[in-house]
Amino acid sequence: MHDSILNFRSYRYLWVSILLSLGSLTAYLWHDPIGVPNGGSWLGYTLGTIGAVLILWLLWFGIRKRRYGRAIGTARGWLSAHVYLGTSLILISLLHSGFQVGWNIHTLALVLMLLVIFSGFFGVYAYLRYPALMTRNRASTTREAMVAEIRELDAQALQLADKVDKSVHDAILRSIQNTRLGGGLWAQLTAKDESGQALTRLKEAVTQATTADKQHRSGQTMVVMVDFLAHQANDAQSDTLRRLIDLVSRKRALASRVARDIQLQALMEIWLYFHVPLSLALLGALTAHILSVFFYW
Amino acid sequence: MKWHIRRVIKKGKGSVSYEEEIHFGDTLTIGRAADQAIFVNDLRAALEHATVTVLGNGRYRVEALVASGIRLDGKLEQNATATSGSQIEVGNSRITLIEPPKDFEAAVEVALIDKTEVAAREESEALPMTLAEAGIGKRRAAWIGLISMLIIGLAIPIVAHYMPTLRIATAGMPMVGMNAWDTGHLHDAHHTMAGDCQACHGSPFSVVEDAKCVVCHAATPAHADPAEFPLPDIAQARCAHCHRDHNGNEGLVRNDQVLCSDCHRNLTERIPNQTLLANVEDFGNAHPQFSVLLPAWAEDGSFAPVRTSMDKTPLIETSGLKFPHATHLRERGVTSPDGTVNMVCADCHVAEPGGALIAPIDFEQHCQSCHRLDFDLRVPDRQVPHADVAAVQYMLDEFYAKVALEGGYDDVSAPVIVRQRRRPGQPPPTPEERREALAWAQQKATQTTDTLFSGRACGVCHSVSKDPAAVRGGWQVAPVRVAGQWYEKSRFTHNAHVTMDCEACHIASQSQSSADLLIPEITNCRQCHAGEHDKELLPSTCIACHGFHQSEHLLR
Repeated sequence: MHDSILNFRSYRYLWVSILLSLGSLTAYLWHDPIGVPNGGSWLGYTLGTIGAVLILWLLWFGIRKRRYGRAIGTARGWLSAHVYLGTSLILISLLHSGFQVGWNIHTLALVLMLLVIFSGFFGVYAYLRYPALMTRNRASTTREAMVAEIRELDAQALQLADKVDKSVHDAILRSIQNTRLGGGLWAQLTAKDESGQALTRLKEAVTQATTADKQHRSGQTMVVMVDFLAHQANDAQSDTLRRLIDLVSRKRALASRVARDIQLQALMEIWLYFHVPLSLALLGALTAHILSVFFYW
Repeated sequence: MKWHIRRVIKKGKGSVSYEEEIHFGDTLTIGRAADQAIFVNDLRAALEHATVTVLGNGRYRVEALVASGIRLDGKLEQNATATSGSQIEVGNSRITLIEPPKDFEAAVEVALIDKTEVAAREESEALPMTLAEAGIGKRRAAWIGLISMLIIGLAIPIVAHYMPTLRIATAGMPMVGMNAWDTGHLHDAHHTMAGDCQACHGSPFSVVEDAKCVVCHAATPAHADPAEFPLPDIAQARCAHCHRDHNGNEGLVRNDQVLCSDCHRNLTERIPNQTLLANVEDFGNAHPQFSVLLPAWAEDGSFAPVRTSMDKTPLIETSGLKFPHATHLRERGVTSPDGTVNMVCADCHVAEPGGALIAPIDFEQHCQSCHRLDFDLRVPDRQVPHADVAAVQYMLDEFYAKVALEGGYDDVSAPVIVRQRRRPGQPPPTPEERREALAWAQQKATQTTDTLFSGRACGVCHSVSKDPAAVRGGWQVAPVRVAGQWYEKSRFTHNAHVTMDCEACHIASQSQSSADLLIPEITNCRQCHAGEHDKELLPSTCIACHGFHQSEHLLR
């Protein structure tokens, strides 16, 4: 069976996490603290120590994953443990606090930790789902190859367009200029690409160029094209235009795939932009939490 | 209008040559068509791509003739003004507006754009395709997060700790200053100190010290004398070992069973032969029989009750009083001067104002209305005082001396001088008569006293004895103790039990003798109370009846 981060070594770290969580829960239910359950009882200190060690160990993953071949265990094993033990931290930390919350650095640390963990959940989803989608989207090619092909198609389209009409040429020129692969954060995440406009522009250019079709109808781009082609007397030009439409359509499909590729990669990375800074903020809050508790013991 | 057009022709190895031509016209046309003033041989240029018009003063209007626009100084424009030095790019050509030479109104320089330059620009103008290329970083945010947390959570509170002004200024702000460290609400009893952390927390990284507690709690007794009981559990225990604050109103004061039972459950094994205390773990099933303070008196007459286990048989209360509860509580009532009265417990037994103990029985208040202390049928309203043997004798001596002197005492056994009523103008009694009257008075007082003590009055309730050596009087009444604190080591409060009938615990209506101890033993309490973990009865921990801080030794 394929070993993913979730079922690594027959769910070894899932079982470790379940045992750790059940152990903590049993101790919590069995423990009869002075007053109400809180972080200051012996069990509170114990669970707090386990939680702090876990957090430091989970943070260490950021360093471990960069040490190719220089550390014990496989990166996949570490990630599997990172996910499962990180999840068990939700229960351990809540039990540690005795479910007490307030406007203080202690609860802030808890909130940061929960944000880190839940952003990590998205990461697990992204790592399990998006690579397969990316592979399927790329269809055994690479993004660089797709981009190069788009450039090639652009050059061919210009040549063909020039043979049809200057307004068609201008439309292709504009569509080349407006081809946007990638962009800022929002553009990457929403997979906006304007290659769809190329066909529309081409349609406009064609209707402008032709006087043969006086009764041109608005409607589907392709319908207009076919109408245009049907009314063309000049076989050579209609053939050129057909090829041009074919090129522009191919380009459009390619550009969409590139945008989707960029989007999938951005989705697979975006959660880390929350996960990592929040985990460092958590390190600061945790340090303050621990030091303050012993400062005012 | 006369244009100067200079073409730059690269010849390889860095050398260039120029071709110059003159163009007449208001506008300079740019495009791929053959009739254009500046011919651009590139498919990326339209046939008629753009025009440049002189506006004068070194300014030009650049106008694109196609919707794809024209690149002026790196920006795509449709219609813009330009000055000398501006660069127009169309396809593979770069047209630079330059200062016109003499005799010309306008001048441009046309050059082919280098292929490497084109590649470099495409590279630089390519849109970012990854988040990292889009300039979003994790590092800066991570540092901001880390440092801001350390500032909020550590730096500001530490400064506030050492700087009272900052502490006071930030007192009301959540998450700011010391509030960032506040682990929870204080107990209501400590709320007055909520803004003053140092009232309890002393030097950094040290636990809350007892010295801080006894600033207020100076009068709180310790649990046991640390010198006498040098157990680590007692001697080294800090206040904060049990009293944990910042948990709201919970937890500051312990009342759980383990508080006591973790030491007291096996005292006899842990410190054999060193303790009189019995092992206790749970009121329901591991608690010794109660011990009561039975009334007793030392040889010098002082009250010295003896703590006695209620398992002892027979268990006799030596109150010093003869008092049958059953007689007083009988259904047909008791005869009083005011007729038949049905007595109830509360006629005599009333709780103290504090509610903990029953107020002492008072003869004058509770008994005298029936048990009168009158002594002479001729003066039924006069009564001797209660509880003072000597005062009774004095009073009767004085009373009968007065009677003897006044005369008119209607008693055949009395001498004539006593029986005769004195009249105004009558000669005073002779010394003989006076001696006779006084002798009678003394004899009558002694007789009356003896009667009171020996039977009619005192002896009804009290154990009365007479000193055989005494010439006169010598009556002694045994001391009495009928109420008080029976359970020395616990706090029982009647107030908490007002829903109960008195008879549920004190079976007085069956008691024919005051020797019956009507104080309930442990089985009586266990009808309702059980240990902390009991599921059916009222869970009661040690603290329900016992106090922790009840040693005679103060904390400091």
